[in-house]
Amino acid sequence: MGNEAASRRGLIGNPVALKELRGRMRGTRAFAVLTVYLMLMSGFAVTLYVLYSASITAGVGYAQGGQIGRTLFTGIVGIELFLVTFIVPAFTSGAITGERERQTYDLLRTTLLSSRALVVGKLLSALSYIFLLLLAAIPLQSLAFLFGGVSESEIALSFVILLVTAITLGTIGIYFSSRMQRTLPASIATYGFALLVTIGLPLIMLVVVSVLGPFFYTILGNNMSAGVKAALTYGFGALVSTNPLATACLTQYLLIDRHDMGYFTVQVSGAGANLTLPLVSPWIVFSIFYLIVSAVLIVITIRRVSRIEGEPL
Amino acid sequence: MQAQDQDSPIIETRDLVMRYERKLTAVNNLSLSVPRGAIYGFVGPNGAGKTSTMRILTTLMLPTSGQAFVAGHEVTKNARDVRRAIGYMPDFFGVYDDMKVWEYLDFFAACYDIPERDRPSLINDLLQLVDLNHRRDDMVDKLSRGMKQRLCLARTLVHDPQVLILDEPASGLDPRARVEIRELMLELARMGKTIFFSSHILADVAEICTHIGIIEAGQMVMQGKMDDVRRQLMPNREVIITLLDKVDEARSALGVIPGIQKIVDLSDESGKKRIRVDFLGEDAMMTEMMSTLTSKGIPIVNLAEQSHDLEQVFMRVTKGVVT
Repeated sequence: MGNEAASRRGLIGNPVALKELRGRMRGTRAFAVLTVYLMLMSGFAVTLYVLYSASITAGVGYAQGGQIGRTLFTGIVGIELFLVTFIVPAFTSGAITGERERQTYDLLRTTLLSSRALVVGKLLSALSYIFLLLLAAIPLQSLAFLFGGVSESEIALSFVILLVTAITLGTIGIYFSSRMQRTLPASIATYGFALLVTIGLPLIMLVVVSVLGPFFYTILGNNMSAGVKAALTYGFGALVSTNPLATACLTQYLLIDRHDMGYFTVQVSGAGANLTLPLVSPWIVFSIFYLIVSAVLIVITIRRVSRIEGEPL
Repeated sequence: MQAQDQDSPIIETRDLVMRYERKLTAVNNLSLSVPRGAIYGFVGPNGAGKTSTMRILTTLMLPTSGQAFVAGHEVTKNARDVRRAIGYMPDFFGVYDDMKVWEYLDFFAACYDIPERDRPSLINDLLQLVDLNHRRDDMVDKLSRGMKQRLCLARTLVHDPQVLILDEPASGLDPRARVEIRELMLELARMGKTIFFSSHILADVAEICTHIGIIEAGQMVMQGKMDDVRRQLMPNREVIITLLDKVDEARSALGVIPGIQKIVDLSDESGKKRIRVDFLGEDAMMTEMMSTLTSKGIPIVNLAEQSHDLEQVFMRVTKGVVT
């Protein structure tokens, strides 16, 4: 059908995506946002560099090979993650509610535009701008190359983690936007969820680890069996993979200290047994998990948008 | 696509019921029928169920029970075919303020799968039709209310629908903009579109409608051809005759024609020599009045039928019950 074809045509063939991009990139606003964003990032990078150099000069820090470059890189990725967490929900949580508030939702519903084209178009247009922001910051991340200590794989992986985070938060935003009638409650729900994923989960993890860790050691001491250790390793890995920041940190650690960015094994021993645990780098689990969550949310959102008033849920 | 008889109604509802969760019945066993090519005025007080009916017809809402057909397609089963056949204008503007006028139409044309190469000429034609060609590169939020309404009407036409469903198209507009919208509706009817519109501005309905349906408390009180409804409710017709002279002779000459019920001298009220003749019958009666007067040498300046004010018809059939 014609509409099916339209929704397959991608970003430019999708009328909603094209309309949103036209609106977003019109005038000086979009470029002003991009400029301010890059200036903030540059300012942050310079501040980080100055502080770090000063700490070395003062003898507080330590000048290890490539440490400045790595600090700069980590700092920039960290602030990008922070910005993604705050910008993406703002872009998508008003996607459907905004149409309701402008009273254009009914007009779209009476056209031949499919719910899928509407939802995907809204999401693609928001994500493409975020993609532009992330892409624009890559030269800044690459500054770290001047100081050494950062590899191309690190830049690529950080980009993947940032992108998956953006897709997930964008999808959550559009999901809440389809559930609520107004933008304000949809934004509150989306930010609540975003904060839970980025800050709430690490805090919960911290509490759990600091309470349960000593507990396990007290109970089991050195007699912890290999099986329990394996379960704890997998449990820890799974928990890390639910959080973008923890995923980024552990992925970087594995990459630098063990040169592992995909599949690797870990030996655990306990109670006379030795086990070789097959593991994958957390960025893979993180990406797969959140892409599945996003896909499910997109399907639910499309169903909600296709629903006709008076139709049972 | 289902074949449709040219004589069958283009919009039809059978025992349509819409009951909301709070047990409020907005539409109650409504059966209406809109012939192809008609300008159908859907009239009723606020809260009578006009918008609910229109939302069902435009596939935005499922009825609690009953059936509704548009262009031969049942709205609950063939929503896509219904959407292809209708152009819908709700009772609010529904415009994107951050778009240019041509972009707004281009966007909706794309939503109706109109190929990109066909859109520029289509947009030009539509803007010309609604007289907005000179504003094509302006932002939508810079347009006046009347212009926005005309743009919305142009939007309903991008996919060349058979039926236009317009909810209160003239509400909130100044008199000039109302006249412009009315003229446009007439033009669209001449282009072969069926227009189904709701209104509580009775003057608009009286002036342009071929058919009328009066709804109150979710029920159809009366519907049919405009003239039939008027005649049914106001059986006697009125003619105002302006004379140069000989008012008394004219009264006595007309008094003998069968079918004439009452002759009233209006000379005192208007200052002109005028009489009002109430009669029962067809247009031939008026020809007979004229020939009688001229045969007796009574000079006629003007003879015009007074159409009954629709407000009188409306007040007569509705009881003022609104749920």
